[in-house]
Amino acid sequence: MLFFSFFKTLVNHEVTVELKNDISIRGTLKSVDQYLNIKLDDISVVEELKYPHLSSVKNVFIRGSVVRYVHLPAAAVDTPLLEDATRREASQAATKAKQG
Amino acid sequence: MSFFGFDTTLPRDRQQQRGSRGMFEQHDPFAGLSRDGGGDEDEVLNFDDTYDGLGQRLQESGDTFNDDTFGGDEPVTRQSLGRDFDFAGQTATARGNVMHEQGVPLQQHQQQQHQPSSYSMPSRPARTGYEAYKQPDYLPKLEADASIWGAGIGKKAATAPQEQQASPDSSAARKMMSLEEVEAMMRAQSQPTPPVQENDRQAQGLRDMLGVGSPAPQQMPPHEQQQQRPVQILQRPQHQEPPMQDQSLRAPQILQRQSSPQPPRPQSQHFHNQPPRGQFQQQQQTPQGAPAVQPPRGAPQHQRGPSYNGPPITQAQQMMQMSDDERQTYMAEEAKRAKRNHKIFLLSKNNGLMTPQDKNFITRIQLQQLLTATGGIDNEPGSEEQLAEDFYYQVYAQIRGGPRNGPGQPLNQFAQTYLFQTGSRYGYGRSRHHPRGGDNHVQRMEQQVARAVEAAKARPKNKQLVMEGSLGKIAFSNSKTPRPLLNLKRPDSESRIRQIARAAIFDRKAALRDIERVYSCLMRLEDHERKLPAPPNEDSPPDVIEGHMRWRSDMQELNQQLWEAMKVMEPIQQNPTTPHPFIQILAHSKGKKVIPRVFRHLDDNQRLTMLTLIAIHLDIVDVIRDAYPPAHNAPLPPKVKEEVEIFSQAVMPPLFSYVNEAPLNIIIGLLGLVLDRVHVPFILRTKIGVSILTMLVSRAELVKQSQQSSPQNTEDWNQWSTLYTRLFDNIEPILPFIFPTDTNVSASDDVHVWQFLAAMGVGASPDQQQRLVLGVKERVMETVAVGRGLPEEMRERRLGEVNLFMRAIGLDVELLG
Repeated sequence: MLFFSFFKTLVNHEVTVELKNDISIRGTLKSVDQYLNIKLDDISVVEELKYPHLSSVKNVFIRGSVVRYVHLPAAAVDTPLLEDATRREASQAATKAKQG
Repeated sequence: MSFFGFDTTLPRDRQQQRGSRGMFEQHDPFAGLSRDGGGDEDEVLNFDDTYDGLGQRLQESGDTFNDDTFGGDEPVTRQSLGRDFDFAGQTATARGNVMHEQGVPLQQHQQQQHQPSSYSMPSRPARTGYEAYKQPDYLPKLEADASIWGAGIGKKAATAPQEQQASPDSSAARKMMSLEEVEAMMRAQSQPTPPVQENDRQAQGLRDMLGVGSPAPQQMPPHEQQQQRPVQILQRPQHQEPPMQDQSLRAPQILQRQSSPQPPRPQSQHFHNQPPRGQFQQQQQTPQGAPAVQPPRGAPQHQRGPSYNGPPITQAQQMMQMSDDERQTYMAEEAKRAKRNHKIFLLSKNNGLMTPQDKNFITRIQLQQLLTATGGIDNEPGSEEQLAEDFYYQVYAQIRGGPRNGPGQPLNQFAQTYLFQTGSRYGYGRSRHHPRGGDNHVQRMEQQVARAVEAAKARPKNKQLVMEGSLGKIAFSNSKTPRPLLNLKRPDSESRIRQIARAAIFDRKAALRDIERVYSCLMRLEDHERKLPAPPNEDSPPDVIEGHMRWRSDMQELNQQLWEAMKVMEPIQQNPTTPHPFIQILAHSKGKKVIPRVFRHLDDNQRLTMLTLIAIHLDIVDVIRDAYPPAHNAPLPPKVKEEVEIFSQAVMPPLFSYVNEAPLNIIIGLLGLVLDRVHVPFILRTKIGVSILTMLVSRAELVKQSQQSSPQNTEDWNQWSTLYTRLFDNIEPILPFIFPTDTNVSASDDVHVWQFLAAMGVGASPDQQQRLVLGVKERVMETVAVGRGLPEEMRERRLGEVNLFMRAIGLDVELLG
């Protein structure tokens, strides 16, 4: 749930989503769910000339499984907090593994 | 059917079939047709492929009254009927004969098609056996031959032929029907009728066929239509099949079909001699200008159009009498109303597609999925689980403004809002008509959700099922706890031994592990801190006080754990082969970053201990050891620079804040340790070393200035003077080298050096000041000279830095000018 938790904090920030088919879409993150499906608003495609069919699209819903990268706004990321959250996640996973 | 469409049936099979062949004995009335077509290689389309053979599967038992229907009471012979429609049977028989006589395989036979022959084979593809209906004089002659139904023919013959025979009869009926009859029939269709009797139903089916089924095929060319018709006829009874209980649904369907927009086309010759039929057609086509779907009766949404077109016309005279203003307001209102009506119309288009039960069903499915998707973890807002699962978001939201209504609304809230919405909607929309129905649904749904939540809670958190006697485990997964691909269970004892073994060898990994341990202790401590109960006062109940006490003792314990994890108290070895564990921790950037967070939780004693430990090991702290300026004035490696930066941002401020409140004796003690244990000239050439010395010296000077008048600490002051002199003697020889050498003077980042010199200068005796100036004179002159040539802003800065020192010894850069 770390990534879900993390992406929730990026709601209403501008992100660039790079898809596995090499299309990069920049837009305002509107929502994200536990599958990391992404809803973007006011989108623009980075290589607009290459993908003209997307030039008239205003918002998209992206299935989480087709996302390769998400470019984050650095200012919106709290690195120490994220480190802590990662530690928590790891320790939880460790306790779970011990139980299992 | 073979690849090329040839009939692969062996001749002997064919003959067997022929033995009992009656008029309609053939399974597929069009088989012969397609068989011939298949012989022609240009022919791609096989009717066989398009004909679904539904007719053969039709179960039709109500043929007892066929005689009544088809006029069986009058003995009709084949001769009177004429045999000209029996092409399929005739030709099939004829061909069978030919093949039998010639004894040729079918393939060869089919290639002979072009040969002139006495039987009608060549023309067969165009003929279906229904051609006779085109002849105007045919219909009067139509009478069913009762003999063709029964005698010597099997069950199959009774089904298919009957349906086919129905076609001529329908034509007859069509001709006979008057306008009144047609209307009556439509009425009968659109009104609920009790389940009809078997024979009535069949008759109804035929009439149905006329009114409903005809328009569609009319669009086809006549030939196609003829081929298509039997299929259509056969389908008709299927429509008839369900007892007509759902009239309201059925009526629009029929009506739509009737009035489906069709271009008015010249009626085919086929219908020319059917005046009533023509009339019927026209009647059907009249509403073409109107909305495409225009039911004659009922469906309210369709009547809305005309209803709001009406009023303006009737009020036209009234409008004439209105004033301009009134008229305008009236028009505006009217437009608004029309707009609203239109909107309602658009919205109501799909009204009633789903019943409330449908909606509830789907809602329940969705809710259940929501619950299972989260793995049944009960996320009370602010609860432990919530924080554990969603730590980053929760804390981030706290740090940077209040929690938003994000997509990750806690599940229970989610469900509640959702339920509330639907509930209220039903409560409003349905209360007028079915006050109980709506409530009932909501109640049931609430119960369902409650049960689902219970079930999810009851489910074991550990998502595994071990079947008794099985070798493996079944792992369940959801988005929160994905199914583990590997399930390794480490034997505990072994790992502990290994850990101990590792701990002995102090390496990088051990240090990293130590740091992680510090972090986990720290986070536990911070969690505990967050749970601070309200401070008790005198009249709070004893359990509150007790809770507070417990919290404090827990806090103490956690603090102790953290302190141990920091490894500050590890014994200091005299001749260590490896650095002290705490220094090892400091050697990593995340170890440096943890210091300010840990420092908050330490008491004064612990802080002093930590500071002391750093002071003793100052020369082996990585930011000093690695940051010694390399030879040839090469710049420091970027990684070292980064570490130095982190150290000065993370570790220095807490140390500085501590030292800034420390009494003189502590400063004396620290400086004494540094002078005793550390090679001062070495640390003086690094930024951090200089900063730490500055920190100590400047604090001493501040204390000295504030306590100037109080003579009680003369002992301390004498001690300090001795230490200062020792320090001064230590630094004097390297004064020319304490400035960073990696860049030229103009770009040098040397403010910390000027600060140090200033701190030293303040406390220096006049003699020492003289020596200080001598030591750095060259650099001062150089910097001032370079600074003069720099742009305004940079010059100010550079000269200001130099002035830090100059003013400390009672001089100013301006005096040098």
